Amino acid sequence: MVNLRDEELQRIAQQLGRDPSVVELHAFDAAWSEHCSYKSSRRFLKNLPTSGSRVLLGPGEDAGILHLGTHDGERYAVVVAHESHNHPSQVVPFEGAATGIGGIVRDVLCMGAEVVAVADPLRFGRCDDLASHQSHIARAAVDGIGAYGNAIGVPNLAGDVYFEHGFDENCLVNVVALGVVNEKDVIHSYVPKGAEGWQIVLVGKATDPSGFGGASFSSLTLDARDAELNKGAVQVPDPFLKNVLMRASYRVFALLRERRIAAAFKDLGAGGIVGCSAEMTAHGGYGAQIELSRVNVAVEGIAPEVIAVGETQERMMWVAPLEFVPDLLRIYNEEFSLPEVAYNARAVVIGEVTAQQRYVLQYRERVVMDVESEFLTGTINDELPYTEKIYHGVSAQELPAVDIEGIFPRVLAHRDVCSREPLYRRYDSVVRGRTVLPRGAADAGVLAPVPGSRLGVALAVAGNPRYGRIDPAYAAEQAVLEAMRRVVAVGAHPIGLTDCLNFGNPRKAEQYGEFVAAIEALARAATELDLPFVSGNVSLYNEAATGRAIPPSAIVACIGSIADIANVITPGFKAAGSALLWVGSRELVGGGSVLAELLGHKGTLPHIEYDAERAALAIVRDGIARGVMRSCRVVADGGMLTAVARLAFDALLAGRKLGAEIDFGNPLCEAGGFVCEIGGDSGMDVTGTLQIGTTIDTPELVVNGTRFDVERLYETWSQPLAQLYP
Amino acid sequence: MSARIAVPVFPGTNSEDETLRLLRDCGGNAELVHWSQASNLAHYDAYVLAGGFAYEDRIRAGAIAAHDRMMDSVIEAAGSGKLVFGICNGAQILLEAGLVPGTGSIRRPTAAFTRNAPAPHFVCRHVYLKLAIEPARCAITAALPEDAIVPAWAAHAEGRLAATPEHLREIVAGGHLAFTYAHSTGAVDQAAIPNGSALGCAGLVNRAGNVLAIMPHPERDAWNFNHLDRREGDDVLATSGGSVLFRSFVQALASS
Amino acid sequence: MRAVAISLKIPDNTAFTAAVALRRLGIGVERVERSEIWFFEEEGSALIERITADETIFNPNKHCVTLLDEAVPRSGEVWIEPLEPRHPDPSTSSGEGRRATAWRLFGPNEATLDRESLGAAVERLLCNPAIERAVY
Repeated sequence: MVNLRDEELQRIAQQLGRDPSVVELHAFDAAWSEHCSYKSSRRFLKNLPTSGSRVLLGPGEDAGILHLGTHDGERYAVVVAHESHNHPSQVVPFEGAATGIGGIVRDVLCMGAEVVAVADPLRFGRCDDLASHQSHIARAAVDGIGAYGNAIGVPNLAGDVYFEHGFDENCLVNVVALGVVNEKDVIHSYVPKGAEGWQIVLVGKATDPSGFGGASFSSLTLDARDAELNKGAVQVPDPFLKNVLMRASYRVFALLRERRIAAAFKDLGAGGIVGCSAEMTAHGGYGAQIELSRVNVAVEGIAPEVIAVGETQERMMWVAPLEFVPDLLRIYNEEFSLPEVAYNARAVVIGEVTAQQRYVLQYRERVVMDVESEFLTGTINDELPYTEKIYHGVSAQELPAVDIEGIFPRVLAHRDVCSREPLYRRYDSVVRGRTVLPRGAADAGVLAPVPGSRLGVALAVAGNPRYGRIDPAYAAEQAVLEAMRRVVAVGAHPIGLTDCLNFGNPRKAEQYGEFVAAIEALARAATELDLPFVSGNVSLYNEAATGRAIPPSAIVACIGSIADIANVITPGFKAAGSALLWVGSRELVGGGSVLAELLGHKGTLPHIEYDAERAALAIVRDGIARGVMRSCRVVADGGMLTAVARLAFDALLAGRKLGAEIDFGNPLCEAGGFVCEIGGDSGMDVTGTLQIGTTIDTPELVVNGTRFDVERLYETWSQPLAQLYP
Repeated sequence: MSARIAVPVFPGTNSEDETLRLLRDCGGNAELVHWSQASNLAHYDAYVLAGGFAYEDRIRAGAIAAHDRMMDSVIEAAGSGKLVFGICNGAQILLEAGLVPGTGSIRRPTAAFTRNAPAPHFVCRHVYLKLAIEPARCAITAALPEDAIVPAWAAHAEGRLAATPEHLREIVAGGHLAFTYAHSTGAVDQAAIPNGSALGCAGLVNRAGNVLAIMPHPERDAWNFNHLDRREGDDVLATSGGSVLFRSFVQALASS
Repeated sequence: MRAVAISLKIPDNTAFTAAVALRRLGIGVERVERSEIWFFEEEGSALIERITADETIFNPNKHCVTLLDEAVPRSGEVWIEPLEPRHPDPSTSSGEGRRATAWRLFGPNEATLDRESLGAAVERLLCNPAIERAVY
């Protein structure tokens, strides 16, 4: 079964001058699926800013690359990729989420990088009933992410989670991976000039029928009745094999460096062998000739079209010069003994690069595919109609005065605010010994990725579905701002962004319009803040059979650089008597806030003012530079007072019993900005900030005269998710 | 030439780099030995088995690795009195190999680090180890002060000591309980134990005192930059915290 | 009581690794089948409903179910059970019940392993007697 539409089939037949073969049909089905071709998103995605002084590589290959800093005269870069594995995680949550991590890790690895961190933005259905299908997915997906990342030894550094009815039938499992590479050792996903006659080497797991139809599967609306039919799209994770593959690949990288040999390396993702080999050769201006019967398979009798486009996990492809191939095979097959690690896993030569730009597949010496490379890999567009979305700021009533004593504990216990620790403590956040701020310790995770160096990298994600429900474009813009603020709040300098756009059905003008509006908003925010998008992914058709789409979810990750990890802001209040400043927007509006939801109030969305945003960033960075920034947190879910409480919790966990006195009209607004603890006589220009209070030497929060015990608030905040994640 | 330390790398090991780096930062002459070079392993003076998931802990944590060819050398070395130190997966392998507590015979385990309880899940949590033996009882801890407290990270799904009541009695009576979990103050209670481990056990030593197996990772809280509560002015790249145990190991090797 | 074997219909990596490890120990294993054995009081359609209602036990996209005629291991098979009662797991309806991991070993020509070889596999690798019992 293929999902190509009639006009697409006609186009293929016309170009070939004949009916396509079965293999060709499946190859085009994968290549022209939304997942591979971005056919309905490409024309909008090109509006995102993707260049800048830090950008070594923007979108287009397996991952983007940003300059991080210099150590010992060597220039280092971070490699970052961001994807979704939503549909597979809905069908088989453990395996689906695990293979999400497996795939994103390969994207970073294939740039020649050492993989140093992962992150996992998650959106699940409501899990109030612990025995529900939604709760099962929420647990199994987390266990899959943990099982995979923990075993390969890559720390989970950042992530977030929301539980909304809008995700009841379509969970979102987004994954981000980060790598580090010496800039002169980057390996590209396509062959360089002079690659004619190079050999195409498939590495990894034996190809099996799993994941056949995966590319078009992830571009289809999910229907419960089809679950059984979709079983072919179930992918099987093997983190043990991946652990070995990663280390074997590092060994190959070292040998390539030593011998100063160039080669191309790419992950097999959507579209399998065809998708990967066609791009690697065509983008270098070459063709390929491949013999499918040379592919190591898991079971005899797999049809050639399955070998050609099946998406068996844990596979990668090298295209390398002849003289290097024996070493390549020896490292994977003998030194790292792949055949003993997984059934029939190995590195095997399956074809070669050809001068004429044709993509030719043979199976048992019979030609089963012969097309122009450019036709297969070239861009295609789907000009679908969409409804232009213009959102008018709802002029709602202002928030009523709140009973802070009663409502604040409810805000802290809210599913969007309460501690995520029960979830993320299932993830290894400290393996490899390079962690500076582990998952959950602060607004962003921080690593020292280059051993022996003071360079640091910060990573954070954001994407608030409460905003998404109200205004997809606003939510997208805020996602950029929040991700960036999080990185700033640990003392890092934001250098780049990635995104995953999780939306509904592009064939429905209304849902497509949300998507288009969100991209415009991302572009606006990134342009205003001068931050490039270097990697990203689009996940459409997140719609249940009932036609209900998810809350539009533009999820953004921000990468920050740190010149000296000694300047990272450590968590929690440091001392009594510090000034607490609210830096940034402080509008007294409640639209999209947790407070508004609890009160059943609509409220106005806070305005986004880029001048104010840039000024706030400058103040925070000035405070760090002067060494007076004792602690800092962003104002996000749960509002300013939640940020203050988190700083007190962080101090409590570090054994410092400190609190704060706060005097501010409605401290539960989520207008954005930062809460900063500023020590001593700072001498800072704090124009535009507001002192909202002072730290005190008792573990209490005194809010407009109302007293809260920090330890009791901590109990309230830390417990709720322990039900779902015991 | 100072004594040579091997860090064997099994298929699935994942903490080899930080283990190696910390050994070297503590003055040890250490190198990785990959499974394809198993035959070289006999030529070393001491062994540190790093964390990870050797053979992905399939069947049981450490079970398949305990039969790996590399363990033939380690078992022989342990029998001849060389120092062997296992961390996390390394500890699980030493138990499955029967080297600790060492109350049975080789590759016939009398205890296990097994599935956490009550929640049977992976747990990543900062913890403290408390030395529960006289420092000199184990060569590797000999340079630690009495009742030493060592910061570390627990990061495992199978870290709970379990054995039959009879074997647990042997562990206590034989002085095999090397480390327990504790709070930073040294106080010991259930809340300090991340995994339901019997006896609050975080580490075991063999009878001769040359083989030590601990579940938590001191090498992940070993440089100043790893500490959330580091002080301003501390050199972020200097070793501290959990590195005391590695220093003690390197010192023991120098004096043996 | 009805014993039910739930196995993977997707490739079982663990079973492959177990087979490789057993061969290295000199045990003549060609192939290993692994399944989780659950024990239920229900019979007939109630049993099917019970199994399919709990996703932690059974997901049709990756599992297959075999209802065993008797609550004992099949030929060439060992059941490994923990010595301690399992702790309750609130995430599954079958948290506290008896459960075992079954390993079924096949030699050349798909013949199941004889009892002696199976015993060697159990003693040397499949069972840690400090925490588990083997039924075969």
